[in-house]
Amino acid sequence: MKDFANPNDPALVVSGLSFSYPDKPDVLRDVSLEVQPGERVGLIGPNGAGKTTFFLLVCGVLKPDAGETALFGEPVMRGKFRPEAGMVFQNPDDQLFCPSVRDDIAFGPRNLGLPREEVEARVEEALSLTGGLELVNRPPHHLSGGEKRMVSIAGVLAMRPRLVVYDEPTSNLDIRSRRRLIRFLQASQETMLIASHDLEFILEVCDRVVLMDEGRVVVNGEPRKVMGNVALMEAHGLERPHSLVPHAEPHHV
Amino acid sequence: MKLLLDEYAHLDSPLHRWEPRCRLIGLMALILGFSFVRDLRLLPAMIAASFALYAVSRLPVSFLVTRLRFPGFFLLMMAILLPFLSGQTVLLRVGPLALRQEGCLELLLIGVRFVCILTAGLILFGSAPFLTTIKAMRALGLPPILADMTLFSYRYIYEIGDDLEAMETAMRLRGFRRGAVTASLLGTLAALAGSILVRSYEQSERVYKAMVLRGYGRPTRPCDGFQVRRRDLAGLVVALLVTAGFIAAEILFRQFGG
Repeated sequence: MKDFANPNDPALVVSGLSFSYPDKPDVLRDVSLEVQPGERVGLIGPNGAGKTTFFLLVCGVLKPDAGETALFGEPVMRGKFRPEAGMVFQNPDDQLFCPSVRDDIAFGPRNLGLPREEVEARVEEALSLTGGLELVNRPPHHLSGGEKRMVSIAGVLAMRPRLVVYDEPTSNLDIRSRRRLIRFLQASQETMLIASHDLEFILEVCDRVVLMDEGRVVVNGEPRKVMGNVALMEAHGLERPHSLVPHAEPHHV
Repeated sequence: MKLLLDEYAHLDSPLHRWEPRCRLIGLMALILGFSFVRDLRLLPAMIAASFALYAVSRLPVSFLVTRLRFPGFFLLMMAILLPFLSGQTVLLRVGPLALRQEGCLELLLIGVRFVCILTAGLILFGSAPFLTTIKAMRALGLPPILADMTLFSYRYIYEIGDDLEAMETAMRLRGFRRGAVTASLLGTLAALAGSILVRSYEQSERVYKAMVLRGYGRPTRPCDGFQVRRRDLAGLVVALLVTAGFIAAEILFRQFGG
């Protein structure tokens, strides 16, 4: 495997990416984006903007009609396993399929061909990072929504990816689980791409935001500036987050 | 790829316009007639009838080919041995294998009947929305529970297919590759199948609860809105006559045929 050690390589370079499904044309149109190592980039936009399709292209699940993608300096080829990029799916049930949490988290490391002791160590490490060590022997389908989310994240982190793509990570989470996820992501070191309709969550976690609509990147910039622009947000079916609304009583400081 | 049955239900053809109950009875009768045929002399007429019907339905040829492919594969797997095992008259001998005339003719009969019956079935389900076909079955006396089960099976088989696709994608992104058959691979596939079953079961329970909460199970008045016109009846009579023709010809050939 190539040693992805060049610190000068951007984590992700996407240039001129276009994609259509057989029954849905122009899902993505000439999308370009560059993400530096360590950045946390939020993707916002209405339903159908192309966020999930963009993620599947970044991870090499889909083949673009045009354009190129490179992860840490190496082009993404469809179907080629790139353990340096992990994806956390919107529905944790799409990821969790093993009879126990332990087996599920070990699935990725085993596919990397790691020895048994290393696999075990990675399971422990991923679960302690996500705070779910006590779940290790539970069947995934008996977990709560929040627990499933953290276990599905642990399953990706066990491969030690350098870029993690999160698709709607706060969907269906209660307040406590959401807060726990925010704290976890704020403390994480990996480069992140996060798609979410939870704009307050994006504000708390991301240091850059990309607004997508109708398959295009509309704007790319500092979260408070982009999401504070009422006209821009409303033009693309979004709303300014409540915490960016000026208050008589400054309770968001 | 989703192989929907009613993908071309929006087309406009005499078969699409045919009143659903008449279409159901007419085409089911024709299928029955096709299944009755044993005499090889009736095969050309059967092929002509089913393909003429398909042409009238204006369904694309690709629809027929893609839907016949998978069941055709299973038929081939089962019937491929017939020419070598069935019959006495040897046509060709290659080493220990002998190609037999009776087996070849049986394969021909099974193959043609299979294509004709499936073509008629695809016309039946392909020329109206699936829900309309189920409503026609209900109107003809199919018990509601069976109608609902058919509808849900059709609806959720694609849902389960989508779930499976998403799970396989998630597995691929964690390095899963289908290679040689090993205990580990079988274990992984068993876990995947088990998860799909558990998820489907849980989803069916949720859907059922949601249905009950909206009054499912209470007696309802049928409101299919079907109206039979004269031309629908004419179509039905033609279909029944063709069916009767096949059955009568078969009986005649059996009694007097050489």
